[in-house]
Amino acid sequence: MANLYGADKSPIRKQNRRRTESLLDTEKRREVRSARLAPRDENDLSGYKKKALYSCIIVIFFFSVIITRLWFLQIQQGEAFSTLADNNRVRSIEIAAPRGNIYDRKGRELVTNRPSFNVVWMREDNKINDEWLKNLTQILDEDPSVLLEKIRKMANTPGHLPVRLAEDIDWETVARIENNRMHLPEIKIEVVPLRIYHYGNMASHLIGYMGQVNKAELDKAEDDPLSKGHYKGGDLIGKMGLERLREIDLRGEKGHHNLEVNALGFEQENLKGDEPLPGNDIKLTLDVELQKIAEEEMALNHYAGAVVAMEANTGRVLVAVSSPELNLEEFVGGISHKAWNAMLNNPQHPLVNKLVQGQYPPGSTFKPITAFAGLAEGVITPETSIYCPGFYRFGNRIYRCWRRVGHGDVTLKRALAESCDVYFYQTGQRLGVDRLARYAKMFGLGSRTGIEMEHEKAGLVPSTQWKKKRYGKKWHEGETLSVAIGQGYDLTTPLQIAQMTSVVANGGTLYKPSLVEEIIDPDGETVSQFTPEIISRITGQGQNLRLIREGMVEAVNAKRGTGREARLGVSGLLVAGKTGTAQVVRLAQYRHLKEEDIPYEYRDHAWFTCFAPAINPEIVVTVLVEHGLHGGSTSAPIAAKILKKYFEDRIKVLKIAEQQATSDLSH
Amino acid sequence: MLQFDRRLLQHFDWVMLLMLLLVGSMALTNLYSSTFITDTGPSSTFYKQGFFYAVGLALLFILLVIDYHRIAKLGYAFYGIILILLTYTLFFVKAIAGSQRWIDLGFFNLQPSEPAKLILILVLASCYATMNVPGGYRLRDLLKPILLTALPFVLILKQPDLGTALICAIIFVSMTLYVRLRWSTLALLSGAGLSCAFIGWKFLLKDYQRKRIETFLNPEADPMNHGYQIMQSKIAVGSGKVFGKGFMEGTQGHLHFLPERHTDFAFSVWGEEWGFAGSLFFLSCYFFMLVWGLNVAMSAKDKFGSILAFGCTMLIFWQAVINLFMIMGFLPVVGVPLPLFSYGGSSLLTNLLAIGIIMNVRMRSFTPDTSSNV
Repeated sequence: MANLYGADKSPIRKQNRRRTESLLDTEKRREVRSARLAPRDENDLSGYKKKALYSCIIVIFFFSVIITRLWFLQIQQGEAFSTLADNNRVRSIEIAAPRGNIYDRKGRELVTNRPSFNVVWMREDNKINDEWLKNLTQILDEDPSVLLEKIRKMANTPGHLPVRLAEDIDWETVARIENNRMHLPEIKIEVVPLRIYHYGNMASHLIGYMGQVNKAELDKAEDDPLSKGHYKGGDLIGKMGLERLREIDLRGEKGHHNLEVNALGFEQENLKGDEPLPGNDIKLTLDVELQKIAEEEMALNHYAGAVVAMEANTGRVLVAVSSPELNLEEFVGGISHKAWNAMLNNPQHPLVNKLVQGQYPPGSTFKPITAFAGLAEGVITPETSIYCPGFYRFGNRIYRCWRRVGHGDVTLKRALAESCDVYFYQTGQRLGVDRLARYAKMFGLGSRTGIEMEHEKAGLVPSTQWKKKRYGKKWHEGETLSVAIGQGYDLTTPLQIAQMTSVVANGGTLYKPSLVEEIIDPDGETVSQFTPEIISRITGQGQNLRLIREGMVEAVNAKRGTGREARLGVSGLLVAGKTGTAQVVRLAQYRHLKEEDIPYEYRDHAWFTCFAPAINPEIVVTVLVEHGLHGGSTSAPIAAKILKKYFEDRIKVLKIAEQQATSDLSH
Repeated sequence: MLQFDRRLLQHFDWVMLLMLLLVGSMALTNLYSSTFITDTGPSSTFYKQGFFYAVGLALLFILLVIDYHRIAKLGYAFYGIILILLTYTLFFVKAIAGSQRWIDLGFFNLQPSEPAKLILILVLASCYATMNVPGGYRLRDLLKPILLTALPFVLILKQPDLGTALICAIIFVSMTLYVRLRWSTLALLSGAGLSCAFIGWKFLLKDYQRKRIETFLNPEADPMNHGYQIMQSKIAVGSGKVFGKGFMEGTQGHLHFLPERHTDFAFSVWGEEWGFAGSLFFLSCYFFMLVWGLNVAMSAKDKFGSILAFGCTMLIFWQAVINLFMIMGFLPVVGVPLPLFSYGGSSLLTNLLAIGIIMNVRMRSFTPDTSSNV
């Protein structure tokens, strides 16, 4: 039995044997079999049985491992892998959200969106076909190298992302591409909303502009839970003004166009996506009509400067002009180097928002503060009379009044009306700089107003402490005289002067100037609504403030008032105001020149700030014209134009009434 | 010669046939889905495999008629032929994808390394069955089986086809452990095996093979290549969840994220489309098939039959384990198909014949060993 099968050589014998065996019954067969098997074989076979049983255990073990693993993958981790599988197959293409519109206070559209058309290439198989490239370069009138460069830049991005070949093409080009659809199989027109400025550059510093998001902005957005994941390279983001400051309100939510793609990135079918959610609309406190007048007046005379109009009792800003305006259209789709440099080198500094970034000595517009401080501290009374010979001698120096021949005996009202320097030199001297500073701060000077504008300057209210800290020197009393008439170290922004004027006008309340009236979501629901914000209040000084207002009424309406140009021509509606001249330099060489002969950059700045009506004031207007020489003749007329528009209806009524009255009298 | 004992029919292995048909129909269902082309319908690959199944089953039935002892006699002849074919492949066949595995027969690309595994089992079984050493095999008794294994092993490794070579080695180890060894032999062999593994890793493995193993151990280091395949396979299987995405609905497979989705990674497609429930059903059938194979080895009437049935069962078992472990991320990508399930003619025919041999042994377990009577 050594060989289990080798012994048998003859098929015939085997057949015979089979036949015989088939006759045997089962029992016999078993006997035969056991008899034939050697003990060794039986031994081995029983060993095999044991080993086959062990093997069974091994098989069971491995299958248990496999099933456990399956359970882990498919049930325990099923959801996670499901997500991974979806991430594999679903490619999302973003749809830009229409940005929120910007309206004026009466709902007139200032900034909205327009569709812009981009030419994009869908890289189906990533092969550039010479034929369509040639066709496209002809239609776009562009050099092939420009297009190829754009393709090259996108070479390493995922294949499902379209390559932008041309941006913001005109209607005619869109039509030509659509007509050539047959020859441009992989070219598509993508529609993206872009900003449209219905009033040109109106309020450009306030509104600001958009641009492509940069690295720093992307990093910042990633750190901000509100903005995390919102931006991608190439997206537009507000770069300046409210476009930047109100980015979160305006931007909306991107939509997505979901595609199923295969492993190679080829589009298989469209899946359900989500529509973009438009941004919130912003209704400004601005009044387009008033703003327009202010801007036109500034532009007409080529004035550089700032105009601001505010509601005296709320802080709503109605007019905010920094002149010259920026050319917003130049910023759409990125500004050119040339245009940027031209703006940088412009002597009128269009890039500076003069409303809050320009710091100027307030000049005589500061005098109401000196007067108020004097009254409040009791160093003067309304009846205090000071003689003005045209100069004031202090120590061994002579401080001149702007009116060389002098004003003679001056009381508070006349001092404000005719802006007598000597009166305020003496008042300031009696107060001292530190008391003056305290009062200046009550009117909001020396600190930022907190308006929604960037890089706002705080201005400067000097004091002895400040000088010590800043220069390490003692305060000279003579310097107090300069400060008292708004010269010397005094620095203010036009907005601060407007704010100060409104404190005088409304009887002591310092409001924070606001630009935004209302935020409206895409459903038309109000998200937030303007409420006046009070920064501080001067109390118990109503009488003194009334005296200042009376002086300012005189300044516009008295015969020798400095601001007569601001009158509205009706006796029933009086304007109260204050002119100012901010000295730029005190160079002796220019002192005796005629004004027109002084170089532009050395001419004085012209201030005018006012409120109206004189009784129960509603509106404050402040005008600063850089190097405009005289507030009374340069700035006041601009303020008057704004006021005339603001009170248009009332003036009409009053005029008719006055005509009636005169005709009644004559009868 | 082909005269058939009617009693053999009484003992026909219906259980194995049932399991085989179950596994086979699941395999074809899965192949239909994994190779379906959206625009043109079922692919030619599917029909080809169906054809191979038909041919394989026919061969299997023919094989059943022949007593396995008789087949074994031809073992060494087959062995010689397969060595020639392997050598031929190595020297005269143009490399496909970096390795020389297929011989073009005009109607069929034969991968000789596949039948080599079965032939190896055949010769090892007859070798062990005829060799009787009291007290168990000594090392020198194992010289012949080692040599028998080493020849095809080296030829296949050289192709290079690490997976198949590994299977040959595992078959040798399994079968050798099945027969009686002395403890000293076992100790020596395992020592030698370990040092071989070390030397192999150091000197014999090709760079890409080493890379695969390294990638497997740290898949994140290499996300787009081999780690990518394992990752995609795990995503496919995992995303099937409890009841799967449904027949023809698997996104990983149909959108081509799965590599080799009808060959090595066929089961990933099954797992994705039929989920845990479907996988469990498949694995139960498979498990039962293997346990049945072991049962056949246990109940065989002689040593040769037992070793043969055991070898064939282990052939299917180890390939399946390696393949499934690879698919589930337990092993590196080694290129071992899932027997009876993955696409591939040579592999399918080989494994069908292996099943045939098991059935053959089963059928003849109850008949007296007619051939060995003197």
